Amino acid sequence: MPSKMKPRLSRGVLDMKFMQRTKAKVEKEDDDEQSRALYSNELNQKMLNSNSNFIIEPSYSICAGLSDGRLSFRGMNPELERLLELERAEKEGKTKPEQPTEVNDEQMAETYYANQATAISKTIQKKMTARNDINKRKSNQKKMQFKKPRQDDGGI
Amino acid sequence: MSANTSIVMPGERVTSVEDVAKGKRIILGPGLRRVDDKVVASKAGPLRHKEPNTFWVDSYQRRYVPARGDLIIGIVKARAGDMYRVDIGSADTASISYLAFEAATKKNRPDLNPGDLLYARVLNANADIEPELVCVNSNGKHGKLGVLQDGFFFKCSLNLGRLLLRDSCPALAAIKDELPYEIAVGVNGRIWVKAHSTRETVGLANAIMTLEHAGYAEIDKICGNLGSVLQA
Repeated sequence: MPSKMKPRLSRGVLDMKFMQRTKAKVEKEDDDEQSRALYSNELNQKMLNSNSNFIIEPSYSICAGLSDGRLSFRGMNPELERLLELERAEKEGKTKPEQPTEVNDEQMAETYYANQATAISKTIQKKMTARNDINKRKSNQKKMQFKKPRQDDGGI
Repeated sequence: MSANTSIVMPGERVTSVEDVAKGKRIILGPGLRRVDDKVVASKAGPLRHKEPNTFWVDSYQRRYVPARGDLIIGIVKARAGDMYRVDIGSADTASISYLAFEAATKKNRPDLNPGDLLYARVLNANADIEPELVCVNSNGKHGKLGVLQDGFFFKCSLNLGRLLLRDSCPALAAIKDELPYEIAVGVNGRIWVKAHSTRETVGLANAIMTLEHAGYAEIDKICGNLGSVLQA
């Protein structure tokens, strides 16, 4: 049933460095599916249909949103502090509000179009020259034609 | 976290949680159990609530109950074939595979000896099987996990560990102003600290232990006074 199969990323692609997040996601999905398959015959209809409003979470760390307990301050463990710094930067990056802009939108639009105008004129020029080149080449090509070898040249 | 300070006892019905559960899905943390449509407390302590929908009981205890994903400090007890036995303060000792370390292979085993301290993550926690630990993240890097060298190690209540790890806890930041240090707090009630000198390290440990019985509100007050504890 090829139509039912979900498209999957190959292992080679997932092992690439930039795919690490996707890799983690795919692995989690696989795990979930496996555990579902494992318990599928244990589940009865009542268990499947009853919708409980309660989710049980046995970990204090997740409930209370505790942070990781490995910390270093004032250069005691530089390697660890770099890690913490990276983590903090990532956290802030996610929750950061809009950064104040040095250039307002109007100015941006003006300069953008001004640049674009010159850019367009440049590209047109380029195209024109390119076309001329092609034309020239075409005219050259007409001159250069395959010449039939003389009979004496062939053979040993 | 709201300042909800109602105390619940084991066996008590927690109607305040039930009321919320009528409207939306809620998360029941440790200390709360669902019996059909009732919510019953199974531990004694203040009922805590975190927005939007999480409830749990912050009971005082020293016995760690492993939960998946927790970051804990364990003591290596013995080597058993491919595994190391690690004491994490729970009813059963945990196990960690020698392959659960960064860059470890069959040939290149981590150098662990009985008595070593590990900062590790609980990978598997189930009442019926022994907990399993790892010292690498999903990308195979050690990150913050691994063996803790030197320093000073002490046990405390689980509450103290959790208290230090709250987002808004001022204690660690207050100590930072006094001296440079490194710390590992396990949610299994074990803390490892390291400072430049023995004197500083012991002072640091004492400072943290003074918070043992403090409530959230008292900590601010104590933190202002930490400097004097460290001098002692």
